[in-house]
Amino acid sequence: MKRRDFLKNSALASSVMFAPSFVNAANNLVFTNTGQKRLVIIQLSGGNDGLNTVIPVDNDIYYKNRPNISIEKNKALHLSDTISLNPNLIGLQKLYDKGNLCIINNVGYPNPDRSHFRSTDIWQTASDSNQFFKYGWVGRYLDQNAKFAYQAIELDDSLSLALKGKELNGIATKNPEAFFKASNDPFFNQLLRQKTDVHLSEHNLGYLYKTMTDAKSSAKYINEKNTIKDTRITYPNSNFGKQLKTTANLINSNINTQIFYTSLDGFDTHVNQEKRQGGLLKTYAECLEVFVNDLKQNGTFKDTLILTFSEFGRRVSQNAAKGTDHGAANNVFVVGDELKKQGFYNDLATLEDLDDNGDIKYDIDFREIYATILNKWLNVDDTAILIKKFNSLDFI
Amino acid sequence: MTHKELRHLFSRAGFGIKPKELHKLAILEKTEVVKLLLKESQTITDLKIDLSKFESVDIKNLKQDKALAIKLRQESRKKLRPYNIAWIDRLNNPKERLRERLTLFWANHFVCRDSNIIHVQKYNNTLRTHALGNFRAFTKAISKEAAMIKYLNTKQNKKAKPNENFARELMELFTLGIGNYSEADIKASARAFTGYSFDYWGNFKLIEKHHDFGDKTFFGNTGNFDGDAIIDLILDQKSCAEFICTKIYKYFVNYEVNKTHVNQMVEVFFPVYNIETLMQFVFNSNWFYNEEHIGTKIKSPVDWLTSINQIVPIKFKKQKQLLNIQKMLGQILLFPPNVAGWEEHQSWIDSNTIVLRLKLPVLLLQKTTIPSTLTIDFPDLKTSYFNTFPDWEEFQNAYGSIDNSNLLDYILNCRISPKLKALLKSQQNLNSEDYVIQLLSLPEFQMC
Repeated sequence: MKRRDFLKNSALASSVMFAPSFVNAANNLVFTNTGQKRLVIIQLSGGNDGLNTVIPVDNDIYYKNRPNISIEKNKALHLSDTISLNPNLIGLQKLYDKGNLCIINNVGYPNPDRSHFRSTDIWQTASDSNQFFKYGWVGRYLDQNAKFAYQAIELDDSLSLALKGKELNGIATKNPEAFFKASNDPFFNQLLRQKTDVHLSEHNLGYLYKTMTDAKSSAKYINEKNTIKDTRITYPNSNFGKQLKTTANLINSNINTQIFYTSLDGFDTHVNQEKRQGGLLKTYAECLEVFVNDLKQNGTFKDTLILTFSEFGRRVSQNAAKGTDHGAANNVFVVGDELKKQGFYNDLATLEDLDDNGDIKYDIDFREIYATILNKWLNVDDTAILIKKFNSLDFI
Repeated sequence: MTHKELRHLFSRAGFGIKPKELHKLAILEKTEVVKLLLKESQTITDLKIDLSKFESVDIKNLKQDKALAIKLRQESRKKLRPYNIAWIDRLNNPKERLRERLTLFWANHFVCRDSNIIHVQKYNNTLRTHALGNFRAFTKAISKEAAMIKYLNTKQNKKAKPNENFARELMELFTLGIGNYSEADIKASARAFTGYSFDYWGNFKLIEKHHDFGDKTFFGNTGNFDGDAIIDLILDQKSCAEFICTKIYKYFVNYEVNKTHVNQMVEVFFPVYNIETLMQFVFNSNWFYNEEHIGTKIKSPVDWLTSINQIVPIKFKKQKQLLNIQKMLGQILLFPPNVAGWEEHQSWIDSNTIVLRLKLPVLLLQKTTIPSTLTIDFPDLKTSYFNTFPDWEEFQNAYGSIDNSNLLDYILNCRISPKLKALLKSQQNLNSEDYVIQLLSLPEFQMC
């Protein structure tokens, strides 16, 4: 066989073999498992500046500390007499007006770390700032409550620490169809067919074969779900829009997945913040609005909770380059239907009492939010997953 | 030495071995081969890229010219990419194999991340310099590296307000392991590392007014200890040698620790801490070649890349793609996830990375004559995505004389099941280039 033939037969053939009949087969499946609760996590990577997101428009300290980058009251989107939203967050304002948004202010953790990587790890593993956990909090959810890897899906090429568990890892896939094709080429299948007990008895090689089997079945399952209800709604043409679109497709097809993980990157605005952050927030709010509408039209919004966080907020004072440096506590958004607490969960920081770095101190430990969602929404043992007991909050 | 033993030794102590050298060394005794391996690494070749732009800067001017400083910082960060590529290139063509292997190991022990290219390069070469040296001198040198002083906040560690970050990680991750010290020990040792700083070139300097010259009580000893004295006191604990030997055993021998073997290593290592002597002991010991260690380790992404390059060297037209591959496989050199480093072992493999690892050889080694309209959709990768130049000529030079039926003995280290053997046998009529792509696409190729 010539190389070209070999390639055609093994790897390349998959795209040819991908037949539409497969879609019909999936359509005939009967779904009984309705009404299960789902969590969609949105990570704003890089450290979103919370103060220019939810703006204390009546606070002189805010304007004094940010002579060049503060947002004037008359330009911001009105929420209350004292608080407005960044002008790019129209979609979020609509959710607020409908009572679908709860803003939790001053969220953080003790001894905050200002490194992106470290603070991201802390948020993703739910550790203390001086602990190093090997597994993420979603991974531990899977370990204790799931049977299949696909019960947590990250809409990306690679898997975040958040979704890594000891027994089960979540699945990372940006494009379910591509993932399916890759795991379904003839060579891959041939390898799996020759798998024997010998393989499985060998510790590490066995682990590889087991992971291949998992990948194959998950890829097939996720791809089936993704093709059942391809939404007709148009999403903004961005990577983040695609992530939410795929998430909506999967949720609307009633996939047996409880946690979805998405992210929007680029919030590290040390220089000329206004334009950059504005663009990103616009993408965020526009996509989120379409996503919620998509779920509403399919009747799945009532069972979906959307959590948005960033690894840290930014310094109260602007820096010399019309930007802001890494800070500490920040706001977190919870979007859902029939929220127990609509609007604001707690007050904004007064900005009078900052920490030694000039950053906002935390009032609410982010793990209290995780605990609340795990316990009240996903109905699982939050203490076992978070390895510690945290207060339960009252937003759902 | 048998072929199998040689392949095992060179995949763990180096980055693989080609048939020609394998045949040459096979007539020697184990001790002789190990001696040659050590001798080869007597020299040190620093890894350097062109930094003339940063070296010609007028430092005095930099303090006044804020805009220039910002510009320089941005350009410095951009240089991490070519330095990463240069490192990968070095691993693909190492002169001092054992030294480079240990440099890679220590980089995931003394984990550090920085964006100043001068300091990053200096740090990397400090790892290389001490890789086979004395662990005492090594640890002291690391504590004074500019990149480390920044990474673990020793720079913010001042007499008036100590920062415990470095002191804590020094004991928890670099020397003793958790549970072998108290919080009071951390507080005392943090005071000893106060006033640490560095200049533009990354040379260490002690800021005396920030250094705490007072007495400290550490591990039951009281005295005016400085950082070096603290490191000596830590290394006087045998548990430090145990911690390091366990880590070396897990990386070079087996992730499942054999206490007896590790204890033998500790007796060799403690109290002098000579790394070369320790490695010589490991590679000369009979147990290193036990069946249960051979081909049972999962390759890291970097091991995976270098082991492919040992067989078919690959050049990338766009260097960015080589970084992308590292990212997708979960290990970008110079960008460790946190101070604990990469987890290694099974954590390299998840549903995505396994599918990708089995797919990439085809994508990387194909000839460009394949029509790009036939796309392979691995997450956003098209056949046309990778623009590579596989050096098939070099493959033919090194492996061309070996028949397909024997090729797997030169490429796979782990045990092959009869079923897989049968499957491969049915493919042996392929030309050797196509056949080798198949071998590189096997789960078994992920093992070393």
